[in-house]
Order: sequence, then structure tokens, then C-alpha cells
Amino acid sequence: MSLQMLPAGQESPDVSVSWEDQQRINGFSKLNSRLSELEDLYQQKKDENEYLEDVGTEIELVDEDDLVQYKIGDAFYWLKQSEVVERLEGESESTVTELNDLEDKIRSIKDEMDELKKVLYEKFGNAINLER
Amino acid sequence: MASSTAPRMPGETGYVNPRGIPQAPFIEVVEDYVRSRDQVESVLQSFQEMLSKYKYMEMSTLRRAASLREKIPDIQKTLDSVLFLDSKRNSDDSTLSTTFELNDTLYAKANITPTDTVYLWLGANVMLEYPIGEATDLLTSKLNAAKESLKTCQEDLEFLRENITTVEVNTARVYNWDVQQRREEKQAAAVK
Repeated sequence: MSLQMLPAGQESPDVSVSWEDQQRINGFSKLNSRLSELEDLYQQKKDENEYLEDVGTEIELVDEDDLVQYKIGDAFYWLKQSEVVERLEGESESTVTELNDLEDKIRSIKDEMDELKKVLYEKFGNAINLER
Repeated sequence: MASSTAPRMPGETGYVNPRGIPQAPFIEVVEDYVRSRDQVESVLQSFQEMLSKYKYMEMSTLRRAASLREKIPDIQKTLDSVLFLDSKRNSDDSTLSTTFELNDTLYAKANITPTDTVYLWLGANVMLEYPIGEATDLLTSKLNAAKESLKTCQEDLEFLRENITTVEVNTARVYNWDVQQRREEKQAAAVK
């Protein structure tokens, strides 16, 4: 994703770059890196959410008054199944909220990038490459 | 540097971000920047220098961000544990059974009686006893501070990346201008 260097001797597209264009290009590259960071985070949270769902169904098989080892920080605590279920539900809830939040952010960044892409391609055509 | 200069806005020439990172110059018209072809090389070289300075700053900021990313979950974990102990302080089951990590890959059992104080490792071989409430406050403020400085790291990284892009675009344009000039000269020579 950059302005291309001309191989020596090739026709140069005669476009001038204004400060506004430069800021658009910078903005695009900023959004691009923000996007990949958020997407990584999203994937991470999604995995986490899946684990929580899995464990949520598994824990139903345990008797309510049985003790399970539940990890908080670096230690495992023996807690009643019912309390663990409660804590898992809380965790799962906050993960889902975070996921939705991330989804919104990713969507709005993508929209903004599409907007910039349109403007930049219109002006620079083949002289610029904005694909990942 | 004269301190009397008014602070400049982002985007203006000479802007310096809150952490003192200068903004790269932008070339509006190549001819204003390089008047003849002999200057191309030195201009490109100065861009190269700028670029490596920005990259260096980027590297060290990335490292700082990475260490914060490690630190934040650590503080969070400690805070979670303290909050958990706090929530168990007033419960009826008198002791709490735990399996805790005695060493890497080695776990042992321990019973914890309800407690009003915890010990926090402050670093440099110092551990201090805190009432649970104070420990929570301390950890929360540490956590927020770490999150805050991660945010500034990310801001700096974005600013650095913007400037790296500017310098790269500058480089490409000066280079292209040079190619263009050379071609025109050749054509002019051929006509003669």
C-alpha cells in the first residue's frame, strides 16, 4: 500500500499531490493499521467467546453442589458449580459486549476507508495501490 | 529552539506532537524542493535519514507498547484475585480451598482463611501489606495508568506511521521527478 516508484524509463503519471491528498493517504494508512489491530483483537475475543460457550455447556453436566476448580488470576479456587456458572455467565456477557463493540468499530473504519479509497483512486488511478 | 514560537496545529509545518515527535515536511511542488537534478541525491538522502529516524522511534515505541501489553493483563489478574478475595471476605464458608502455582508447572493446595489484608509485590524485592480496599485502589490506578500510556503509545505509533508515509511519498515523488527530468533531457539531446 504505497505510492509506486516508477521503474526508470516508464511513463510517469503526471499527478501533483496536495497536502490534502497526503493527509488522505496518511489517514488511510492509519486506518489500515488500526483495522488490522482491531481484527486481531476481534479474533482473540471470538475464540475466547467460543471457549466460554463450550465450557458453559460442559459445566451443566456437573452437579450443582459439586466443587469445581475455577481460575482467577493465576490460582485455581474450589468453588461450587452454581457459583462458577454465575461467574461464567458474567464473563460471557462482557465478552459478547466487547465483541459487538469491536464489530461496530471495525465496520465504521471500513466505511471510512472505502470513502478514502474512492477519492484517492479517482485522483491517482494506477499510481497508487491501496490494497492490502 | 526559541520557546516563543506559538504551538502549531497538527498538519501545519513544524508541528511537534505532545511527545515531541516532529512532523515530516511535505512537498507540495517538487520543483520548490529540488531546483536541479544535482540536488536530487542529497534530498533523497535526507529523506532516507528522516525515514530511519522515524523507524527507530517506531521500533522503540513498539517495544514499549509490547511491554505494556504484557503488563496490563498481569495487573488485571492481580486485581481480579484481590476483588475475589474481597467478595469472599464476608461469606459464610470459612476457608477457601485453592490450587495455586507454587512454581512453574508445580501446583500445591492451600486453604485461605478470610482476610482483610493482602501483600503486594512492589518490585525491587519489596513486598508490602495492604488492606484489601487500598490494594484495590492501588491496582486500579496502576491499571488505568498502564492503559493510558498504552493509548499514548498507540497515538505516537499512528503519528509516526503517518510521517513515515509522508516521507515515503516524498521520496517516490522526488525520484519520479528525477526520472522524468532525465527523460526530458535525453529527448532534448536527441532532437539536437
